[in-house]
Amino acid sequence: MLTPAELVWLIAAVAKGDEAAFERLYAATRAKLFGVVLRILRRQDLAEEVIQETYVKIWNSAGQFNPGQSSPITWMASIARNRAIDVIRKRGEASIEEEPAAMEVAADTPDPLARREMTEELKRLLECVGRLEPDRQKLVLLAYYNGWSREQLAARFEAPVNTIKTWLRRSMMDIRECLGL
Amino acid sequence: MALSDDHIVLAAEYALGTLDADERAQAETMISADQDFAAMVREWEHRLGVLNQMVGSVEPRPEVWDKIKAAIGHSEPQEPLLLPQAAAPPAPASLGDPVGADNANVIRLTGKIRRWRNIATVASAIAAALVAMIAVGVSVPDLLPERMRPQPRTQMVEAKTSPTPTPSAQYVAVLQKEGGSPAFILTVDEATRNFTVRKVGAAAEPGRSFELWLISDKLPRPRSLGVIGGGEFTSRQVLASYDPETVRTATYAVTVEQAGGSPDGNPHSAPVFTGKLIEAVPAAAAPAR
Repeated sequence: MLTPAELVWLIAAVAKGDEAAFERLYAATRAKLFGVVLRILRRQDLAEEVIQETYVKIWNSAGQFNPGQSSPITWMASIARNRAIDVIRKRGEASIEEEPAAMEVAADTPDPLARREMTEELKRLLECVGRLEPDRQKLVLLAYYNGWSREQLAARFEAPVNTIKTWLRRSMMDIRECLGL
Repeated sequence: MALSDDHIVLAAEYALGTLDADERAQAETMISADQDFAAMVREWEHRLGVLNQMVGSVEPRPEVWDKIKAAIGHSEPQEPLLLPQAAAPPAPASLGDPVGADNANVIRLTGKIRRWRNIATVASAIAAALVAMIAVGVSVPDLLPERMRPQPRTQMVEAKTSPTPTPSAQYVAVLQKEGGSPAFILTVDEATRNFTVRKVGAAAEPGRSFELWLISDKLPRPRSLGVIGGGEFTSRQVLASYDPETVRTATYAVTVEQAGGSPDGNPHSAPVFTGKLIEAVPAAAAPAR
């Protein structure tokens, strides 16, 4: 993975129509973005479509990336993730059982305890998430990593959707306060 | 302008991903229309985005790149709006340092240990979260509620009536195809009932015009609000002849008509893009001019 500064330069070049820079940007970021959307969509074909749309959008809107507001990888991952969640919400989320084979692909095993790789920002967020009750921690993390809706979270936590809604609200407000947002 | 807690939570849940399709559409409308809300969404996306550091990388197939290249082959990127070599504006102090600031040396040791304990706890929660979906997905697929069907992507947000006329509320509607990208963004000023249509999607085919219509159950038939001009923005005052309630609750639709618009005041195509107004800037919170 390139450094954030290198990615910023690549995006700047892409904004000017530099296809070689775009190819380098793709090579540097595709596996991370694909991992993120595959986890949400759980289907190789859907995840590939979302990745295509994501990079086309990155190509078209690279000029709108503002390094003062976001990190390059977060900006790119947000485009990918938002698209993936739009797709899964519109599909009615019935895709889970369609293609069990896709599960294997999604079953990567990251090492969450590799602290050396954590940025200071991640540590800060995790510290705030860690202050939530254990169930709420899981709630937030399942929502983020798997793109689960409130209904899916309600099923997982065996709680009414309204309760989940309240938990999410409180959790996000707690995180916000903890982060000083 | 301060956002309400509801808006902050909406932004947070948008970034988290827990909103349903309608709510996401509503949030996207607000992102288009409200800079403060858009900034809050970006902030949440940025803060939560660090969680992706824990997601394993998976290589897509090489064909994906071929398709991307083919897709961009005929399009030029847009004019850059902000070039990264320009000095990055400093992040607002209240938002903290966005990248890599290591404040660990100012944290007392006890605090540091507690912090690591917190991180270790949540790290194991992350590990659980990263595998849990497989278990649930395989073992209990029927837990998925039946009612979650794709729904028409029209904003159905209740517009609140403001008791104070000034400063006036701004209403906004995103006109789009079901599930498609926004084509037009309609903005209505409550007090003047001036409206502005901003074209964000494709232009009409040659020899055709887009025409905007107001559809209300208070009116016997759709009323034309005029042809949408070829430029990016089209502004008119014709809404002044409708009462505010009708303006707020109507559906706005765009049809494809012959060049110059419908000759007889009736639409000649099915609505291509539709949307309803939501209150983007409440009257009370509008900035002083």
